[in-house]
Amino acid sequence: MLETTTERPARAREKIIDADVHPWVNGDIQGLKKYLSRDWWAHFDGRYTLPNHWLRPPLARASSNRIDAMTPSGGEPGSDPIFMRDEHLDKHNISHAVLSSIQAGKLAALPNASEAVALATAFNEYFLNEFVAVDPRYKLAMVVAAHDPQAAASEIRRIGDLRGVVAVYMPLLNIPMGQKHYYPIYEAAEQAGLPILIHPTGTEGGFPTAVAFAGGAPSTYIERHTNFPEIGMSAISSLVFEGVFYRFPRLKLLAAEFGFSWLPHLLWRMDQNWRQFRKEVPWVKEEPSATVLDHVRFTSQPIEEPEKPEYLHVILEMIHADRTLLFSTDYPHWDNDFPSHTLSGVSPELRRRIFFENAAELFNLD
Amino acid sequence: MPLHLVTELAGLENAKPQIFSVAGRSIGLIRSNGTVYAVRNVCPHKRAPVCRGTLKGTMLPSDPNTFVFGLENQVLQCPWHGWEFDLETGRTLCAGETKKLTLYPVTIKDDEVYVDL
Repeated sequence: MLETTTERPARAREKIIDADVHPWVNGDIQGLKKYLSRDWWAHFDGRYTLPNHWLRPPLARASSNRIDAMTPSGGEPGSDPIFMRDEHLDKHNISHAVLSSIQAGKLAALPNASEAVALATAFNEYFLNEFVAVDPRYKLAMVVAAHDPQAAASEIRRIGDLRGVVAVYMPLLNIPMGQKHYYPIYEAAEQAGLPILIHPTGTEGGFPTAVAFAGGAPSTYIERHTNFPEIGMSAISSLVFEGVFYRFPRLKLLAAEFGFSWLPHLLWRMDQNWRQFRKEVPWVKEEPSATVLDHVRFTSQPIEEPEKPEYLHVILEMIHADRTLLFSTDYPHWDNDFPSHTLSGVSPELRRRIFFENAAELFNLD
Repeated sequence: MPLHLVTELAGLENAKPQIFSVAGRSIGLIRSNGTVYAVRNVCPHKRAPVCRGTLKGTMLPSDPNTFVFGLENQVLQCPWHGWEFDLETGRTLCAGETKKLTLYPVTIKDDEVYVDL
């Protein structure tokens, strides 16, 4: 007998914000042609492929994109807003999906600042017109090229107040995140009321301009992927100890896909060192952990898989997940997590904070 | 509590902690800025001999990338982890930190230093 139901289970009706979704532009720079000036298009003159790190995932097509999420027309996963709407937003009851383009993250590998700035604008125009305009559930983390922080700030002032823009995605260069280089970007983001979003770009350790890994260049993808958290850790300690959150007191950071189980250690170590070496950074006037909990947020995917599930619950308490953690899927990447199988053991109150309210507060969404 | 005669005032060099055994306890006497401080020679952090540390000033809370030096010769820095204590209060300069030095009352009489344990 066919089982039918008129009411979906409560969990299926819960409001969900997905803080980490990745759209794609087929053909890289060729796909952006419509959004590049004739002069810039002529300038690229056949250089249409954005650089890939040599160490690729040992998966089909050596790609992070799931082959089962390819579009009906054979396009890259994430490239069709209608297909993604049906396959992802509708299927998982996503109220808002924050789009950050890892493809645009490859701009961190470009040695030419002007090219990176021009492409960042083209990417933003593409996603605003081809995704955000198609379905209001799509929200954009607009990309900036931090190579030229003044130009990046101008880009934030150009589109940062548009409805549908909810964050500034800043692919990291090999400059610690707390240093003055980035301050024009932080100033503009703060004025626009937008959080800065960082995310692994896939360029880490593979290009001279991209952020480096500690200890040297990994020789395998498994090392590269395992070591992503160290990028998040160094970004946060740099921001805190350089006093960025004192300079820009309304600035927020979303550290997406860097994990979170390492956070208790980082908080404790920062506080411990502050008690010892406060005089080196006298502008840090409160425990660094308090600053992190006030200003930095984290995404859930890839959800940690400890030896015992209860360990994860203790870590959630340690990191004040009711304030700091945002649910994310990472659709359409190979390691994506979905609501029905993520954090199913937490209390309804905590689940509501993680799956909706923390993100709603950070991105100013209803 | 009894007063214990510890040493002659003239024997205390300015801004240089000296350690004495007083009634079986290790006590540091620190003469600085016209005042003599008596400090239990145990750091409240990890039990280090704090009075073997350095008397100095420190950086006061300031705006980012600016330094304001102050509390000269009023801050005792532990030789182990570098915790800094304000001798006037026994507290660190880290807001919210509750661990503090044990300070004892000092009396100067006829150029002799007494500590009240």
